[in-house]
Amino acid sequence: MRLEKCWFCSSTVYPGHGIQFVRNDAKIFRFCRSKCHKNFKMKRNPRKVKWTKAYRRLHGKDMTQDSTFEFERKRNRPERYDRNVTENTLAAIKKIDKVRVDREARHHAKRMKPKKAQLQREAARELEQNISMVKAPGALQQDPSLTLPIKVKVSKPEKVDNRMEE
Amino acid sequence: MEGKKPHNISGLFDEAKKLKDGFLSFQIIHVLRNFHDKLSTIIDDFPRLNDIHPFYGDLLHVLYNKDHYKLALGQINTARNLIGKIAKDYVRLLKYVDSLYRCKSLKVAALGRMCTVIKRVTLAYLEQIRQHMARLPSIDPNTRTLLICGYPNVGKSSFMNKITRADVDVQPYAFTTKSLFVGHTDYKYLRYQVIDTPGILDRPFEDRNIIEMCSITALAHLRAAVLFFLDISGSCGYSIAQQAALFDSIKSLFMNKPLIIEMKLEAMKTLVGHGGEATDVSNVLLTMSTLTEEGVIAVKNAACERLLDQRVEQKMKSKKLNDCLNRFHVAMPKPRDQKERPAFIPQSVLEARAREAEDDAGKESRKLERDLENENGGAGVYSASLKKRYILAHDEWKEDILPEFLDGHNVADFLDPDILMRLEELEREEGVLQGLEEDDDFEMDGAELTPEEQAALTEIRKKKSLLIQQHRIKKSTAESRPTVPRKFDKDKRFTSERMGRQLSSLGLDPSMAVDRARSKSRVVPGEGFKDSAQKKKAIKIAKSSSKNRNKEARRGEADRVIPTLKPKHLFSGKRSTGKTDRR
Repeated sequence: MRLEKCWFCSSTVYPGHGIQFVRNDAKIFRFCRSKCHKNFKMKRNPRKVKWTKAYRRLHGKDMTQDSTFEFERKRNRPERYDRNVTENTLAAIKKIDKVRVDREARHHAKRMKPKKAQLQREAARELEQNISMVKAPGALQQDPSLTLPIKVKVSKPEKVDNRMEE
Repeated sequence: MEGKKPHNISGLFDEAKKLKDGFLSFQIIHVLRNFHDKLSTIIDDFPRLNDIHPFYGDLLHVLYNKDHYKLALGQINTARNLIGKIAKDYVRLLKYVDSLYRCKSLKVAALGRMCTVIKRVTLAYLEQIRQHMARLPSIDPNTRTLLICGYPNVGKSSFMNKITRADVDVQPYAFTTKSLFVGHTDYKYLRYQVIDTPGILDRPFEDRNIIEMCSITALAHLRAAVLFFLDISGSCGYSIAQQAALFDSIKSLFMNKPLIIEMKLEAMKTLVGHGGEATDVSNVLLTMSTLTEEGVIAVKNAACERLLDQRVEQKMKSKKLNDCLNRFHVAMPKPRDQKERPAFIPQSVLEARAREAEDDAGKESRKLERDLENENGGAGVYSASLKKRYILAHDEWKEDILPEFLDGHNVADFLDPDILMRLEELEREEGVLQGLEEDDDFEMDGAELTPEEQAALTEIRKKKSLLIQQHRIKKSTAESRPTVPRKFDKDKRFTSERMGRQLSSLGLDPSMAVDRARSKSRVVPGEGFKDSAQKKKAIKIAKSSSKNRNKEARRGEADRVIPTLKPKHLFSGKRSTGKTDRR
């Protein structure tokens, strides 16, 4: 049993899922679901289809090369079973996964960092421009800090008989 | 027919006759030829008893009677000659006949006579002989042969079955074998014929029947080693004395043939009186049993050996050998030193032999997986442990269950003896990277908004979103909503209280604005009103004057008026350029 990678979207194909297509030149294409299969039949290039890993890696959205990927390599030679090696491997897999996930998160954060600065600048500008929507310029002059005014309830005035004043 | 015209009718007939002549004689000749060919084939293909090996000649005589055979063939020969003569005569006669009709009748007569001759010939006897001959065993009289003879039912055929691949009938009654049977066996890379004969009874020569005569013929003519079978126990139904008597009577046939006397059923050599006779003729006495298969091979080997010796001896004596002898040369390697070089037998073979010698009969084969399966409940119940024969560093690892997947990865892809080392390196790297990351993070915190600013920003955004929402509602309902100017204030939203609230929420003091908005009815000195009540009344009267008019949607003072709907200057005059859909 082996977990394979979908040719189109690079997600894992578990046993019992998906379709394998064998071409006349004996190249095997595995698909995780009919979505990928149909896209393949339409001759779409996965490098141009936004939601695939191929696209994301190509356009730098996801981490491309990292030492954590070196651990997972398909070996064609069967190894003799060794309990200690297996135990170590099983524990190691979890740790490697954690490291990999952390690194991907870091990559993502790094990618998003410039956006953060831009957002902050935009927020500052917006605040400066539209502060008059929540605090009148008059009030702002009196009280330059940005504490918002408390909403005062205006009561109805008593009936003032405006006689003509002489 | 030629082109010239005959002068007389007889001439005409002559011409025709000549042609017919040729054709008719051709017919006769054709028939003659056919008969001749067929009969000649028959005569030629049957063997001439004088030309074949005396063994076969005698055998045929025994089976078919030489005289009858010759007579039959002779009959056919005469028939052939007769037919030839008839044909020749009639062809000659045809030449001298004058009329066509005569020719035809001659031809008919010729054919008829030939047919009668043939009818008299009987081929049935020859046909039977032919079929029987075809089934005779193919015995080569010149090659090495072992001949098996003895009383009926002593076990000749079973011996034959044992040493050759022949499958001769073995039955408890006498005369099961009724004719000669041939088998072949090998000894020292040579092929030996083994001939099984029918049993011979002790009778005077003249009284023997055809079956016995077969074996006698074989004995007489074939230069073979003779294996004479004796049954001591008497289960064949004849006593030893009878068998001995038979032996004596056919002793003469054993001239110049190596003889071996077989004793069936393991009789002791010393028991038999033949022991004395053994010294007379240099024969060999052997014991064997076809049931338990002891000694069968020994007998065969002894017989073959003796036959071979005899044949070699004879060949050596003959003159022809001297011609061939100089062509033979057996090359023996010259020993270069005194060192002994015996045949090499591998150690494992010696051990196996020793082991075999030890536990001869009670050797158990090792326990098969199949036996194990049957013990534990059979095919459906027991599942074989495929891991039983694994070669691992420690035996207790054999029963380990190894997971193939873990968290979406193939475990086999990660297996590595020095994975721990690499993992350590990785974690070190990771630590370093994390340190770097923290430094980066500290730098970035400069331009953050304070909580106050954040609160203000959220308020702004909330207000903006509210405005947008309202606008969207207005836009979406614009088609179904009447467009009423703001001053009529249909929903009563534009009140001074509201204005006051909004202003105060912005942080301003609304009182002055509210006052100014509210007091529409404040009396300004110079307007002409006594007090606000009067002013209000006046405003009301003014409004009511136009109220009805507005409700009825009538034209008021401010509405546009067209005094003349069709002014003459616009509706008169000649047509100038321009469209006619409008004047």
